[in-house]
Amino acid sequence: MSEINKDLINAASRVDIDQWVAKYPADQKQSAVMAALRIVQDQNGGWLTTELMDAVASYLDMDKIHVYEVATFYSMYEHKPVGKHKICVCTNISCMVCGSGEIVDHLEDKLDVKMGGTTEDNRFTLKEVECLGACSGAPMIQIGEHYYENLDAEKIDKILEELK
Amino acid sequence: MKQLTQFFNSLFLAELFKGLSVTGRYLFKKKITVQYPEEKTPQSYRFRGLHAQRRYANGEERCIACKLCEAICPALAISIESEEREDGSRRTKSYDIDLTKCIFCGFCEESCPVDAIVETRIFEYHGEEKSDLYMTKEKLLAVGDKYEEQIAADRAEDASYR
Amino acid sequence: MVTIEINGQQVEAEQGQMLIEAADKAGIAIPRFCYHKNLSISASCRMCLVEVEKAPKPMPACATPVADGMVVNTKSTYALAAQKSVMEFLLINHPLDCPVCDQGGECDLQEFSIGYGSDKSQYAEIKRVVKDKDIGPLIATELTRCIHCTRCVRFGQEIAGMRELGATGRGDWMEIGTYIEKSIDSELSGNIIDLCPVGALTSKVSRFTYRVWELANNDSISAHDCIGSNCNAQTKNGEIKRVISRQNDSINDAWISDRDRYSFEGLQSDDRLTKPMIKKDGAWTEASWDDALQFAVNSLKDIKDKSQIGTVCSPSVTTEEMYLLQKVMRGIGSNNIDHRLRQSDFRGQDQDPLFPGLGMSVADVAAQQAAILIGSNVRKEQPIMGHQLRQASLKGAKISFVNPVSFDANFNVAHEFTIAPSQMFKELKVLAKVALENSSAGAPEGLAALVSSVKVTDEHKQCIAELSDADNSMVILGTIVQAMPNYSAMRILASYIADASNSTLSYLTPGANTSGAYLSGLLPNRTQVAQGEFANTDGLDTQAMFAQKLKAYILYGIEVERDLDNPVQASQALDNADFVVSLSAFVTDAIKAGSDVILPISTITESSGTLINVAGIWQSFNAVSKAKGLSKPGWKVLRVMGNLFNIDGFDYQSSEDVINELKSALALENSQSETSRATNQLVWDCPENISAQTTDIQRIAELSIYNVDAVTRRATALQKTQDAQVDVAKINSALAKKLKLEDAQAVTAKQADNTAQVTISIDNKITDNCVYLSAGNVAASSLGGGFDTIELIPA
Repeated sequence: MSEINKDLINAASRVDIDQWVAKYPADQKQSAVMAALRIVQDQNGGWLTTELMDAVASYLDMDKIHVYEVATFYSMYEHKPVGKHKICVCTNISCMVCGSGEIVDHLEDKLDVKMGGTTEDNRFTLKEVECLGACSGAPMIQIGEHYYENLDAEKIDKILEELK
Repeated sequence: MKQLTQFFNSLFLAELFKGLSVTGRYLFKKKITVQYPEEKTPQSYRFRGLHAQRRYANGEERCIACKLCEAICPALAISIESEEREDGSRRTKSYDIDLTKCIFCGFCEESCPVDAIVETRIFEYHGEEKSDLYMTKEKLLAVGDKYEEQIAADRAEDASYR
Repeated sequence: MVTIEINGQQVEAEQGQMLIEAADKAGIAIPRFCYHKNLSISASCRMCLVEVEKAPKPMPACATPVADGMVVNTKSTYALAAQKSVMEFLLINHPLDCPVCDQGGECDLQEFSIGYGSDKSQYAEIKRVVKDKDIGPLIATELTRCIHCTRCVRFGQEIAGMRELGATGRGDWMEIGTYIEKSIDSELSGNIIDLCPVGALTSKVSRFTYRVWELANNDSISAHDCIGSNCNAQTKNGEIKRVISRQNDSINDAWISDRDRYSFEGLQSDDRLTKPMIKKDGAWTEASWDDALQFAVNSLKDIKDKSQIGTVCSPSVTTEEMYLLQKVMRGIGSNNIDHRLRQSDFRGQDQDPLFPGLGMSVADVAAQQAAILIGSNVRKEQPIMGHQLRQASLKGAKISFVNPVSFDANFNVAHEFTIAPSQMFKELKVLAKVALENSSAGAPEGLAALVSSVKVTDEHKQCIAELSDADNSMVILGTIVQAMPNYSAMRILASYIADASNSTLSYLTPGANTSGAYLSGLLPNRTQVAQGEFANTDGLDTQAMFAQKLKAYILYGIEVERDLDNPVQASQALDNADFVVSLSAFVTDAIKAGSDVILPISTITESSGTLINVAGIWQSFNAVSKAKGLSKPGWKVLRVMGNLFNIDGFDYQSSEDVINELKSALALENSQSETSRATNQLVWDCPENISAQTTDIQRIAELSIYNVDAVTRRATALQKTQDAQVDVAKINSALAKKLKLEDAQAVTAKQADNTAQVTISIDNKITDNCVYLSAGNVAASSLGGGFDTIELIPA
């Protein structure tokens, strides 16, 4: 364990993580792993390195592989560098029925990048995700912490324009 | 009466002429005997003769040392040693068929998942000593290489029945 | 107890049991992949779906608790349809490569697909492929075959205590692996091969060289530690192809250590001796058995003073060999017989118990509530004992260590006293003082004075309190402390601590058969005189035999330079001797240099015999593999030697005759397979107060996990593992700074006049002012005693 550098987690992140740790019983620190991963991901510009995950594991007294499992299970954790804005397109049933396919095509055309890729100017990353629980507003995308619902090609153009 | 008929039948050699008439009939009929080795009988593409080991078109031997043929062989004629080849694939170290034990049932061919061991149409082989009839992997592959065209054609013909 | 009905059959079950357990007990087969008796329940494969009356859907039998009056059907159309659907899902991504898969023929998936699978697949989409991982030299992966039962993951978490494998990703993209490139380092890792229901995890050793239907099953006993794990050695044409575990709930549960699993590779080593050899005028020639035995016996007869003959035997040979060896030696009139190869302090040996053992069964260890281990790296020395202690710890037991190195434990350690070997006696005095203070009985003579000067800390108090408060507790003497120079004194204190805290004094002994050696009288100081009675004799122990440079030696199953505490001293004694007989399965230059005759004896798997484990369980086994060359089982060789010496009572026809004779000497019935476990507690005999305040750097020697015996040392795959990388001198950073040494620097290690070239490895688990240089490895063979002072000189 000695080679793990806990210092990779900066002071501000530690304060945040400690807040989450405090919410759980002392012997169940690992419950804060999802929050901790989110916090260090934000700290690192939107993606996780193996070293950061190791640091989280050591910070929460967990096996490293346990943290890897969590970090690879959830789609909100990134393992490669991402653009400034991560566009998460839902393609689950409701969105698919309401035309998410066209949304995907339009985004890919417009940004000239395939699903899962990042634009050359590093501004946008396209990502296909599972249901985000906004079926009433299908088709939808998530950018940062915002949901954009009832989309069509024009609305997307507008959203992208605003983000540029 | 019966005794009388018998007496005349034997007196005039009736049985003999009956028999000779069959001989006479066949004397002028078309012959079915072949003049082996100048002439040969036709063979089925399912003929089960000498064994061969086949290769893929790229020269890679087919056999993967699964040992199903060894397990099924009712005469225990096949013995296989397997190993991990350097490239990590499963291969035979040795593959021997003792033809003096083999009963040519064709189970080995049927059990093979990759069509590696086959029985060819060759039946005219001989050995001058016992070891000549002990087919090693090299010998089997050599047979396969030589007759691959025929082997492949036979398998193709049989394909729709398998 | 509740009564349920399965397939119309009334079945009794315990409250809280799962359906599958009740069905298994009643002999009703339910297909399963993820369920395993010794692991937690995950219910992830869904293969065990059964119909339960009044339940709205099929229920997984492994995760459905029984309830009174439950009506279950495992074979109804409804249940079968569910099982078949699950099978179809499992087969979607499974490759059709059974012909090249080592699991083929013993594969659960293959088997159940016959019963529940369809011969056609509806699935036409792309199949998933998973890249194989390199997880070390022991286990081969073929992860496309994985069906995600997670048995291996649960094994790591629950049994091995090292969560190394995990299930990353999700859904279709779920993969079993380590995520980062890394080897699996657990000493029990091989068990995941047995656990894997498909061919995703297979053995890398003898990979592709057999099919399971070619293998002959042979029940056998592992001979690499004192636990005596039950195993199944599987052979093809008389050669062991693999070793798998055999369930024995009173010893090893369902597990065996990697050492027990993979060391068979050493049997095929090029070093195997196949013919008897005689040295004539300095040159070695092969000889017939008759000539070689006659030569050996005649040369030994020539030694007039029989007390000039010394015999040293490995503690890992069969009891039959040990019994006959001591019988031959005592028959010719020498009591210089010993098997304690690494012990250096023999004071108090007359107080030894009948045999040094656990004082309980191996499985009982898991039921202890507290334990203190003195000088033991139990996890690596006796992996199965480590497993039992871990199980105890998981149930809340407080387990503490007094060790010269802070060894990695795979459970929560209550207290850890990491202290230099020279200070361990003092540390035990502190614990004894606490025990004395807590004890209502009076202090034994001299103890109060002995412990008067030491200071007690709260941690010591807590540690002893935990021991006394527990209903079941033990004080364990490990093999490291048994090799230390002041062992006898520490043993007395440990015995007192155990007494005062109402605990059992236990030993973890070196080798596979130390118990057998004690019981068969392979000791210089004790011999059997009548049924169950012993008398003291006056013979030399290992240390004295080599220190006094005798005229002749008999070496039985040992490699002098690697098996002894002080290899240099021993080699010099051999050089000096007139005549040396080696009975050995292996031949090396070192053995040749030190002997005059070498007789090839079989290894344990090649001979029938009996091993007695640390709990006193006698386990007999048959020969499993073919003997190499002309080598013969040791008991046969010794029998003939007995005849050649004209000693009475050497008319054995089989190894059973030998063991039955020993049993009757010990007043045991022939059918009995357990020696009653008499108490190990010693009579108080106040030890000398030694205050070792040395400023010298002291060596710490531990026999490392894959160096324990000649066979294991030659198991190539094991020697490639992380645990085998011990040819280094480990020091902590403080000492490194003091000596101005760096990590990976080459140095000369020097003990008196002996030197060895080693590299430095900085490891802060080592105590101050100590060098950890494990015994039994190549570098240590040119050094002296394991706990002597040592110097490190930069090369």
